[in-house]
Amino acid sequence: MRATFPHLLHLDVALGILYPTLGIEIVPPPPLTRKTIEIGVKLAPQNACFPLKVTLGNFVESIEKGADTLFMAGGVGPCRFGYYGQIQRLILEDLGYKVQFILLDHPRYGIRSFVQALRTMTGGKISPARIVRATALAWKVLRFTETIEAKRRALRCLVERKDALDRVVEGTLTRLRWVESVTALEEIIRSTEEALRALPLVREEGEVLKVGIVGEVYVAQEKRINFDVERLLGDLGVYVHNSVSTVEYILHTLPFTRSREKEETWRLARPYLQRFVGGEGIDSVGSAIRYAQWGFDGVVHLYPFTCMPEIVAKGILTQVSKDYDLPILHLAIDEHAGEAGLITRVEAFVDVLERRKKTRRKSEVGRAWTYS
Amino acid sequence: MDLFLGVDVGSVTTKFVLMDREKRIVASCYLRTSGDPIAALKDGLRYIERHFPSGGLIKAVGTTGSARHLAGIVVGADIVKNEITAHAVAAITRVPEVRTVFEIGGQDSKLIIIRNGVVEDFAMNTVCAAGTGSFLEHQAIRLNVPIEKFGELALEAHQAVRIAGRCTVFAESDMIHKQQLGFGKAEIVKGLCEALVRNFINNLATGKAIEDPIVFQGGVAANQGIVQAFRDFFHGKKRIIVPPEHGVMGAWGAAILAMEYAPECSLFQGFAVVERHFVSRSFTCEDCPNSCEIVFLKENDEVKALWGSRCGKWSPSAVGKRIDEEPAGMKTVSQGEECEQSRCPVYD
Repeated sequence: MRATFPHLLHLDVALGILYPTLGIEIVPPPPLTRKTIEIGVKLAPQNACFPLKVTLGNFVESIEKGADTLFMAGGVGPCRFGYYGQIQRLILEDLGYKVQFILLDHPRYGIRSFVQALRTMTGGKISPARIVRATALAWKVLRFTETIEAKRRALRCLVERKDALDRVVEGTLTRLRWVESVTALEEIIRSTEEALRALPLVREEGEVLKVGIVGEVYVAQEKRINFDVERLLGDLGVYVHNSVSTVEYILHTLPFTRSREKEETWRLARPYLQRFVGGEGIDSVGSAIRYAQWGFDGVVHLYPFTCMPEIVAKGILTQVSKDYDLPILHLAIDEHAGEAGLITRVEAFVDVLERRKKTRRKSEVGRAWTYS
Repeated sequence: MDLFLGVDVGSVTTKFVLMDREKRIVASCYLRTSGDPIAALKDGLRYIERHFPSGGLIKAVGTTGSARHLAGIVVGADIVKNEITAHAVAAITRVPEVRTVFEIGGQDSKLIIIRNGVVEDFAMNTVCAAGTGSFLEHQAIRLNVPIEKFGELALEAHQAVRIAGRCTVFAESDMIHKQQLGFGKAEIVKGLCEALVRNFINNLATGKAIEDPIVFQGGVAANQGIVQAFRDFFHGKKRIIVPPEHGVMGAWGAAILAMEYAPECSLFQGFAVVERHFVSRSFTCEDCPNSCEIVFLKENDEVKALWGSRCGKWSPSAVGKRIDEEPAGMKTVSQGEECEQSRCPVYD
C-alpha cells in the first residue's frame, strides 16, 4: 500500500510524521500549484465546489507519483463536502485509475465503517498504544504548525523585516517534517519562539488595524488557494487573526472533544442561527461576533463560490455587521477569481477601515457594512 | 505654484489630472489606453507638459487604476492607490454632500456608499462585463452606431425594447432577435441602456440603501442614454449628478490623495520620461509547477520592477541576470498598435 491524502495548509507535515511510524508507506502529495488546480478543474463537474476540484487535482498528481490508496474524510449533512469522496472516487474510476479509496465518515453514520476505515488508515495490526503514541506526536505537530502560522499573521505587520519572519517560519516548517520525538518537537518550539522574539519590531500591536478571518475550513486556511489574503493584509500593515483551524475542525466532530472556545462561538451565533446549516456556517457567524467583541476593526469572509453554508452565513453576517457596526468584506474564491480585482477590493477595504478609525463614531449603529 | 499630478491608467482609457493646491483642475486629458499603457502614459505626459502653467512645480504624484503599479514606476509616483478610494475621494471633493457614487468604466463598475464624507461600503464588479462600458461599445459597433452618438440616439426613442441584460451573450442574442422583429435602432439602444442599468443595480446594489445625491462618474457617464435610464429606474425621485469632470475623477482622486500624502520630495521622474525607453517583457519561471509568469519593466538594460512572482524569489537583479543568460526566452508583453487618432485627447 502506498497511501496519499489531500493538502490542507500544513496537514501534510503532521501526516508525514504519523504514517511512517505506523508502518504505512506514503506518497506525500506534491505541492499545491496552479497545475494542481488546472487538473482538478478539468476533471471535476463544473458546478462542484472549488475545494473538491483542488483535492481531486491533489489525488491525480499523487497517483501519478505512485500512490494506490487514497485517504479522505467524508460526512453527511447539508454541506456537499459529504459527497466529495464518493464523487472523486467515481471520477478517478472513470479515468481508469486503479486505486483504493478509504473514506473516513463521521462515526455517527455507521460506527463499524468508521472503525474499519480508521483501522486501514492506521495500519490495521499495530497495537492501540502505539497508534495513540504516534498520533499524539502528529497531533502536537499539527497544533504547532497552526500556532506558528498564527504568529506569522500577527507579526507580519509589526516586524521590521518581513522576509526574516518568513525565513524563521519556513525554516521551522521544514524542520518539523523530520521530527521524531516529542522532545525534539519541544526543542524546535523553543528555538522558534526564541527566533521570533529576536525579530526587531517597528510597530506595536495597539496602533495597527486588526482584521479577523472567518469562513469555510479549506478556502479560509489554504493560502495557495485564497491568493494569500493574510499576507496581503499583513503587507498593508494589518494585524490578522484567523478563526478557522483544522485542529478545531477535527475536535469539533466529537461532542466530548469540543473546545470551550468553539462552544462559545456557537453560543454567540445562536441569536442569529439556531440550526446547523452544514460546513462552518455557524462558526463564521459566531466568530465574526467574537471579533466585534474583541474590538477588531473588520472581518474578511472567505468562502468557495456557491458554498451553501457560507451563503447562509453571508446573509446573516449582513445583519451582524449592522448590529455590531463591524465592516465585513466577503470574498468568494474559485478558479475564476481574479487576483487583480481581489487585491483592489482588499486594499480599498483597508482604506475604509483606516479612514473609519480616524473618524470613529460609535454611537451610530444600524448600518450595514457588507462588501463584495 | 504647487501642482499635483494624478494618473489613472484603466483597461480602456488613461486619464491625467494636473491640480493646484485648491484642488482645482489646471489641465486634464482622457486618452485611449489601446492595450499599451506605457505609450498612453507618454502621450498623457506630453499633453500635460504642453498645458503646464509657467512657474508651476509638481509637488506630488499619485497613480490609480488597474495599471497603477506600472504607472507608478514609469511616472514616479509618491502614492499608488486603488481605484475605489481614488474615485470616492474625488466624488467627496466635487460634491461634499454625496451619499452614493456610481462609477462605470471600461472593464468594471463600482458602487460606493458614502455617509458624512466617509466611505462606508462598496461593491465592485470585476467578473461580469454586462454592466460595463465595453459591453456598450461592443454593441454599438454591432449596431454600427458611433459610441459618442449612442446616448443621443437612446434619447430619441419613444419606448424601450426589453433586452435581457443578465449576461452579454444573452443580451446580444436577444438584441438580434428584437432587431429581427423590426424594432428601430433607437428603441434597441434605449433598451440596451436600460439593461445595463438593471444589471448594475442587480449585481452591485443588492441589500444596499441607495440614497441621493448620487454622483455618476466614469467614462460611461458621458452617455446621456444611461443617465436617463438611471433616472427612469429611480422614477426621477433620486438626484443624480454627473460632474463635468466625470471622465477624469479617478485621476483627480489620485492627485488629491498625493496632495494629502504630502511627500517632502516627490519621486516624479520629470517630463523627460517620454524620451526614455521602457518596455515590458515576461518569461515563465519553470522552477516549480506554479509556472509563474514574471512580468518585468525594463529601461534600457536595467530592470526597474517586476510582478507575478508568487514565491518572491525573483528580484530585479535576478531577472537582469536571467536576461543576460537567456535573452531568447523573453516575450514582449505590450502589443499595442500605434493608433495616433484613437489616442488623441477627447476630454479637456
